[in-house]
Amino acid sequence: MTALRPGSRRTAVTPAGAAGARAGRRRNRAAPARLLSRPSRVVMWGGLLLGLAVYVLFGIVPMVGNLVISFTDYTGLPGQVVHNLGFANYSSMLSTEAPGFRQGIVASLVFVVAVTIGQNALALLFAHRLIGSGRLAALGRLLVFLPIALGVTIVGLIWILVFDPQQGPMASLFGAFGMHPGFFGADNWAMPLVIFVQIWQNAGFSTLVFIGGLRAIDPALYEAAAMDGIGGWQRLRRITFPLLAPSVTVAVLLAVVGAFTTYNLIYVLTDGQYGTQTLGILSFNAAFGSFQANLGYGAAVSVVLFVMTLIVALPLMALLRRRERRLLG
Amino acid sequence: MRRMRHPRLVSGIAIGVLITLLFLVPILYVIMIAFESPSHFLVSPMTPGSPQTSNFSAAWNGADLGVQLLNTVLYSVVAAALSVVLGLLIAFPVARRLVRGHSAVYTFLFIGVFLPLSIIPLYAEARVLGLYNSRIGYIILHVEPGLPLAVLLLTAAIYAVPVELDEAAWMEGASYLDYLMRVVVPLIRPALLIAFLYGLLGVWNDIIGPVVLLADPSLFPVTRGIYNFFGSNESQWTLLAAAIVIASLPVAALFAASQRQINRASLVGAVKG
Repeated sequence: MTALRPGSRRTAVTPAGAAGARAGRRRNRAAPARLLSRPSRVVMWGGLLLGLAVYVLFGIVPMVGNLVISFTDYTGLPGQVVHNLGFANYSSMLSTEAPGFRQGIVASLVFVVAVTIGQNALALLFAHRLIGSGRLAALGRLLVFLPIALGVTIVGLIWILVFDPQQGPMASLFGAFGMHPGFFGADNWAMPLVIFVQIWQNAGFSTLVFIGGLRAIDPALYEAAAMDGIGGWQRLRRITFPLLAPSVTVAVLLAVVGAFTTYNLIYVLTDGQYGTQTLGILSFNAAFGSFQANLGYGAAVSVVLFVMTLIVALPLMALLRRRERRLLG
Repeated sequence: MRRMRHPRLVSGIAIGVLITLLFLVPILYVIMIAFESPSHFLVSPMTPGSPQTSNFSAAWNGADLGVQLLNTVLYSVVAAALSVVLGLLIAFPVARRLVRGHSAVYTFLFIGVFLPLSIIPLYAEARVLGLYNSRIGYIILHVEPGLPLAVLLLTAAIYAVPVELDEAAWMEGASYLDYLMRVVVPLIRPALLIAFLYGLLGVWNDIIGPVVLLADPSLFPVTRGIYNFFGSNESQWTLLAAAIVIASLPVAALFAASQRQINRASLVGAVKG
């Protein structure tokens, strides 16, 4: 404790007690970096810069690169001479020859609104039942979370099997009523089913967020309410819901951003066919779909998608934050 | 109180039935189909027949499931581990304010949590840097997605480690890495595990990445392998169900092993909120 390294300009060692008192006054106080030996400081900087380099190279560069590619006719084919197209990719989105874009905006909005509402309603319903420490509640949490662990591909294939229009169990069920829908291969069915599977896949995550929020509520509040004879709906409305507001903010924003940007599941279920071509899968198909290789156009669509996500998510975040302040006082 | 208990019980049972129907029945159904003979499934897809295991051997031999399962484990474990290690190397100096601009670094990484996965420029980058269609390349490309959240989680966890430990150890002449490994890592193990599981799940969940960044079937993770298997064996449902079950085994095992961490992860929601 008292051994001073040579080279350190410190002449006296702060007693542990004084250090503790100072820590109490200033939060997150740090030990000075000069206590570290020179090689250790080099290692520290090296590690930090290595981590940041990976983040910049594979996180930031692609984000900027996406914007750059969106102004070109890049195809990804080796040896191609890439041309600057200006805003041509953007203006061709609006032309009548590319109706996919306008349908994509509508499909994205329908998908996002339905998934956000469905996922959070279901999660709220589950969370207040699965919060307990009992064995049944634990089993319920496990089941609700299972789709997240199974992952998008397995989940998608399970539902393709269940909704197979020829041999699937749902086909038998509907067949018993004389109906023979095409499910994922039918215009009226594909979008609602894709929405359903997206909710099924992610409800467990929102449930965890809400369980976290519910557990953070002070039980003394419920006891006080019980003593005042407040229970049931009133208790839910006056205590649980207001205090859950921060969790609602997190869960709603995650659902909105997730529904806007992910297209893994749609790729597995329908590949964007039968009215399920959201902007995300439209961008992917333009770039990597059969015979297209139009990476520039795909990048432009994903830039629009990113802007659209911000236009929806940022005001929504402000709104939800204001709601938190109103409810929590 | 009497009046209360009855509706509570009814709603409890209703939600129990709903969860069972929605989440358990479809999965049990797939497992049931996996054990059925194709002929029985054709005649009566809704009822169990006499169980047999020939679908599993047929799926195992028909798809390259063994290699692909190994690929999946390799990709997800190594990429997630690298995310966590790099996350720690960023998080510690930032949390301890050991570097100038620490709060700018934190904000810079915070943006990353909201960045969408831009597969088109990543594909271009993979081509340019020679990371396309290679195991090492695929792993390198999957480190970044888990990194921002790892930094946020680990920074929060490091705040809870007393600064006095740093001072004591460094004045004793402990090296930086030694100190991180021997003191910090054991103290923030839960956060490390959650960050690791999150990274793991990200790699496992990716189906677009394997489609765009890999071309050679022997490099496919099991997700793309089984997706292709679906395309080439359309409507052979007993075979496909067996393939689904095999592909789910590693993740089911991991899931069972990390139950406690998942429960703990629900506390992260509370912190974030």
